[in-house]
Amino acid sequence: MSATGTCEFQPKDYKSDLKPIWCPGCGDFSVVQGIYRALAAVGRPPHEIAFVSGIGCSSRIPGYTTAYGFNSVHGRALPIAQGIKLANPDLLVLAAGGDGDGFSIGGGHIAHLIRRNMDITYIVMDNQIYGLTKGQLSPTSQKGRITCTSRYGSMEEPVNPLLYVLAYGAGFVAQASPTDLAGMAATIEEAIRYPGFAFVNVQSPCVTYGEEAQQIKGLKAISESLTAMGHNPADRLAAMDLAQQYGEKMHLGVFYRNPEPPPTYGDLVKERQTMLSKDALPKERILDLFIKK
Amino acid sequence: MRKDLVFGMAGSGGDGIVSAGDSLLQAAAAEGYHGVMTKSFGSQIRGGESSCRVRISTTPVLNPGGNLDVAVALNWDDFLKFGAELPVSGTTVVIYEAATNIPEDQIPLVGVTPLQVIAVPIAAMAKETAGTERAKNTVVLGLIAGWFGIGAVAVMKGIRKKLAKKGDELVEANQRAFDAGRAFAMAHPLKASMNIVASETKGNVKLITDGNDMSAAAAIFAGCQFFGGYPITPSTEVMQFFTDQVWKYGGSVLQAEDEIAGIGAAVGASFAGKKSMTATSGPGLSLKCEMMGLASIAELPLVIIDVQRGGPSTGLPTKTEQSDLFAAAFSAHGDVIRPVLAPTSVADTFRIVIEAFNIAEYYQTPVIVLSDQEIASRKETLDPIDTSQFKIIDRLRPTAAELQGYTRFKQTENHISPISHPGMLGGTYLASGIEHVESGAPTNSGSVHQRMNDKRTKKFDPLKDRKDLFEITGNPNAPLAMVAWGSVAGVCREALAMAQAEGMNVKLMVPYLLYPVAEGAYNEFFASVQKGLIIDQTHLAQTFKLLRMHIDLPKGVHPLSRSGANPFLPGDIVAALHHLLSELQRSHEGELQPQE
Repeated sequence: MSATGTCEFQPKDYKSDLKPIWCPGCGDFSVVQGIYRALAAVGRPPHEIAFVSGIGCSSRIPGYTTAYGFNSVHGRALPIAQGIKLANPDLLVLAAGGDGDGFSIGGGHIAHLIRRNMDITYIVMDNQIYGLTKGQLSPTSQKGRITCTSRYGSMEEPVNPLLYVLAYGAGFVAQASPTDLAGMAATIEEAIRYPGFAFVNVQSPCVTYGEEAQQIKGLKAISESLTAMGHNPADRLAAMDLAQQYGEKMHLGVFYRNPEPPPTYGDLVKERQTMLSKDALPKERILDLFIKK
Repeated sequence: MRKDLVFGMAGSGGDGIVSAGDSLLQAAAAEGYHGVMTKSFGSQIRGGESSCRVRISTTPVLNPGGNLDVAVALNWDDFLKFGAELPVSGTTVVIYEAATNIPEDQIPLVGVTPLQVIAVPIAAMAKETAGTERAKNTVVLGLIAGWFGIGAVAVMKGIRKKLAKKGDELVEANQRAFDAGRAFAMAHPLKASMNIVASETKGNVKLITDGNDMSAAAAIFAGCQFFGGYPITPSTEVMQFFTDQVWKYGGSVLQAEDEIAGIGAAVGASFAGKKSMTATSGPGLSLKCEMMGLASIAELPLVIIDVQRGGPSTGLPTKTEQSDLFAAAFSAHGDVIRPVLAPTSVADTFRIVIEAFNIAEYYQTPVIVLSDQEIASRKETLDPIDTSQFKIIDRLRPTAAELQGYTRFKQTENHISPISHPGMLGGTYLASGIEHVESGAPTNSGSVHQRMNDKRTKKFDPLKDRKDLFEITGNPNAPLAMVAWGSVAGVCREALAMAQAEGMNVKLMVPYLLYPVAEGAYNEFFASVQKGLIIDQTHLAQTFKLLRMHIDLPKGVHPLSRSGANPFLPGDIVAALHHLLSELQRSHEGELQPQE
């Protein structure tokens, strides 16, 4: 199967039989549809895909695909994903989860996957709330937001996921939303095709605990296509400038794509393995390393 | 003439005392002796105090030895900081730096009169012959060659090789320092000769390595293809060995951003179908617990090496202890069994790490290898190991038929289900930390949970019948007994030999499998026992308590435990056995004397 893709697979080939636990109307239904479409467009067979998540409503998503899924522990999708990628660089590795999973409990990992340029696509379903635990403050909740753990309003500034990953030097940074399903599928596809760490922030409304302004209607009102705006995705500083408007505007599309992608960590590993393989003692003689002559 | 000599040397960080120990051990190996070297440091990175013990023997060495035969103090402040780690007795020859200006009859060792005390102008001799005091350690090696007959040729041969790249001048300066030390010894013979007898195995190939390097080599031998970890004393060298070697075997290593990511990546690599591992020490073990729980419920093979140090928390990072036993046996929440194995020496670390991979793969489980600072950091001379005797086990893969309608967690007779991995057509499934039905789909069902808990725990039953994971020595019907594991086992093996030489009827059990507790093996062992010791280096007598949870120990069996950095000496154990023996004899007095 070529990475350039064929039309051999249809979106339905990536859909599993499990029925999502999500609330009716949840934005994540659209996200999983977008992923099916993106995977079909890329054309890798399901068994060559590993899809890892942490814990949260959105982290149920691997189970709704026909890929090898791993619904792991809270905040640790990325460490597990990078182990999978290093163990078998030929796999297509996706990671996904919510804003709490990615930017709170697991917030320490993203920077390092970016630094290593792990060839992994990371999709965060950002809904500014903890939904699975029934409505607590999340790292992307607006300051002043009233939730069941912030009865008098949040006293914290939210994390800006886009600026965060741009600042760490991610080679591919994009944003999508169920307000534009076709655009989301195309953006995720582009992220998967990018050779290196790719980040897609999806504004995915929580219908149960989300605020009115963050529902589809509200999001539509503040959405703007980066392509239509004439944004040049090779311009990292312009991307950072636009990313500052996170929370006020919802820019959709690619903020930044490194026009000259550096080698991935996997490329460097392969290079090193090839370079050193000729020096290997046969395994059964490995203890010869300890002979003192 | 001696057959066994224990050297203990201490100085400041820059004195090169550990490098002298290395040279001495290598020279001894070259001359056919067996040896063990342990190092001990203060926690300072540079400067501070450092010490080593080197035990050299004509027969295989079981532990770093008891009281020192030879103590070398480059200064007394540093020497005294090691306390019980460098015990001086009435049979010790003490050699110390004359520039300390302490008279030979006033050395600061309280309550002991050594066999002989010799002040040597070590620094002055180094300066005079090599032009720098940095050659002090070479002078010490010359003294040892002169007085004890070890390394007269081999030491300088090793030093020449080590310094070859640094030029002839340095090599010759070291030769002069070495010769001066040796000449001093010749000119000042000991009151009683302590020369070691020549080894009969001179010329045989010997390996020298420590437990950390040995565990990494064993892992690669077992087919480990991935290491994820984070630097932590005293386990870091395991990762270092991987970063040098694993690429050559098509594997990779990740120095992760933290302890959790390290084991997380290893869990991922295992899910992806590769044998994988991590290594850590106390605080890191605490951090890795959640991932161990995940690997248990997702039934993923994984090896975790925990090199124990003094705890809790940062504790004593550079000293050995066995107090991670509870943490290893009961790591992470939930009802779960995670096998725990422990090597007792550098040599058997090879076998135990291979065993850990085999158990991890066969039972699809994380396995903890409880090493400890002493085994991990000590260097041993080893006879070559025949690697062809070790069988390597790989996880059970689904057959082509099983991949038609594949069921990842299928119930089977032995509770072990064939495991697929990404890339395998027909094998896709959802791995998860959430409870799942046989297909892998999430569930909340109590009855499924009960069934799955059964599957995940009962699968280990055969492991407890593995007699080869227990070593029993001594008289099998003895009324006196010892149980010891890890580095303490080596001390007890020597204590057993000493006690037997004194005519005691005693036996020793060394479990390599610590958890799950193999009730059958212990019940059989204790059947003849009236008095016994469960010996470990913990404050809470963790081994005794863990056994008591599972076994009705005979009433006369007690713990013999002490905190880390207070090593057991074989003599301590023999003394404790004497005490038990007299108790045993007293308890039978009534049977021997006529009743009044």
